[in-house]
Amino acid sequence: MKILFNYLIFPGFLFSACVGLIAGWVDRKVTARIQWRLGPPWYQNFVDIVKLLGKETIVPEGAKLTFLLSPCLGLLSVVLLATILGKAIISPSESFIGDIIVVLYLLVIPAIALIVGASASRNPLASVGASREMKLVLGYELPFILSIIAVIVKSVGSIQIGSILNHQFNFGSHIASPSGVLAFIVAIFCMQAKLCFVPFDASEAEQEIMAGVLIEYSGLPLAIFKLTKAILLYAIPLFLVALFLGKDLSPVFITGKYIILLVIIILIKNTNPRLRIDQALRFFWGPVTLLAIISIGLAIFGL
Amino acid sequence: MKDIIAKIKERFTDKILKSEEKSARRIYIEFKPEDIPTVAKFIFRDLDCRFATATGIDTPQGIEILYHFSEDATGKMVTIRTVILEKKHPQINSITPIITGAEWIEREIWELLGVNFIGHPNLKHLLLIDDWPEGKFPLRHEHES
Amino acid sequence: MNLRLKALTKSIWVFHAACSPCNNCDIEVLDLLTPRYDVERFGIILVGSVRHADALLVTGVPNYKTKERLKKLYTQAPKPCLVVAVGGCACGRVMFAESYNSPCAVDEVIPVDVYIPGCPPKPEAMIAGIAKLIGKLKGK
Repeated sequence: MKILFNYLIFPGFLFSACVGLIAGWVDRKVTARIQWRLGPPWYQNFVDIVKLLGKETIVPEGAKLTFLLSPCLGLLSVVLLATILGKAIISPSESFIGDIIVVLYLLVIPAIALIVGASASRNPLASVGASREMKLVLGYELPFILSIIAVIVKSVGSIQIGSILNHQFNFGSHIASPSGVLAFIVAIFCMQAKLCFVPFDASEAEQEIMAGVLIEYSGLPLAIFKLTKAILLYAIPLFLVALFLGKDLSPVFITGKYIILLVIIILIKNTNPRLRIDQALRFFWGPVTLLAIISIGLAIFGL
Repeated sequence: MKDIIAKIKERFTDKILKSEEKSARRIYIEFKPEDIPTVAKFIFRDLDCRFATATGIDTPQGIEILYHFSEDATGKMVTIRTVILEKKHPQINSITPIITGAEWIEREIWELLGVNFIGHPNLKHLLLIDDWPEGKFPLRHEHES
Repeated sequence: MNLRLKALTKSIWVFHAACSPCNNCDIEVLDLLTPRYDVERFGIILVGSVRHADALLVTGVPNYKTKERLKKLYTQAPKPCLVVAVGGCACGRVMFAESYNSPCAVDEVIPVDVYIPGCPPKPEAMIAGIAKLIGKLKGK
């Protein structure tokens, strides 16, 4: 009973969806203000989802059941991720050993759901978007895992989010050390790519390939994809806050740190053009992986 | 350094029918329809000018086609003018084998004015729909809207 | 007025369906997204795919080739979908009414909800048209 409450209401589906949609609104509003516009009202993202629920769902001819199932796969995994993360942060002693590996696995599944859904839509432009998304995932997964390994090394080898939080509580945030700073920078780049934001949103490029991966989706499946993206916007910065800035996680401080990460995402989003997919791949496998390896090296030596 | 107008006049003195300088940078030279491929080849290859576009119009004397060449370095435009006197079934040698970029504009002149381009590799409809009625050319004067 | 229609009036996603116009109306539509007239405060954004669209902005006179494609586009947009005819050419063909290449006006191909005349219509006129469209939806 309590598990159902945790999964569906707090900190699971309802809570993370609301926070994620409000965070998405903050992004749109700040972007609008930077461009000297006014921007939408605070309830805009909620109205978008409700409107999408009221449109008809068109399934292209020849698309099989995977077309309708893949959005649900993405949503379910991301809600589970938000639940595990939320519980680990609220009561660190209740997290289980190995839950950081579970979180890493769950973080890949929304991207896979996008790729599977796009490939199932029988549209050549969607397949272009799917291939770009595949290359992007290949690009950013490696440095992301390396930066997490750096954090694990710094917390004397524990793979449990609860004990990483305890370690930071006793010895200070992981970011307050050279290897921590490098790993944090690497993680910020990978977070930007995971959220499919500029400069790494080549798979959903609007002007180029007519909304790429999501071209054939309409109505309810599209609403589920938008919800998945919103919940990711809530979960991934929270994950980074827990790993790198986890010294003091009382509600006021955690909100402040989350907002700082959101501001960093929005700033990077508004000041950069979109990268081509080969430029993005070269970027991730070149300088970013190098930085991650250096940070692991520094972490092993105790810095 | 002789400028390109002098060079054209020197090379084709016997073939030029009329030449008219509209302004310092704009000259219209008239030729017979048979001479057009040689003149176009000379201007495009030897004088290194860019083929800008071609225009056609239905006049009382015949169907007049203008080929516009631009010398980008100085900003001069040389226009080769020819009048096809036969109005029932006008035809002229195509310059597409020499200048590949002329393929589409010649297709457009064919489908709207009815000029047959001999030697054109791909004379099909460009702007109008594929099953447009045969023999109806919208930009001719006798075509009613 | 039920929730579905109310949500539709507050978040209209537009798709630009240009049937070979002269592009003046397209430039004015682009003006709407710039800071001076900012339509995103009404919830209107430009989408890339016709399957995400709530409103089709049609510009230009349909000719024989684009008539078929316009019909296909309208069937591909998920209902409820509104159609806005922007510019004089889309409303009633103005000077191209007797041209050799224009068989019909837009409303003989797909049902139109709002007409915004002008050549090109000013952005203020387009915003007034959108307001009339929202008013028409609410009155339903």
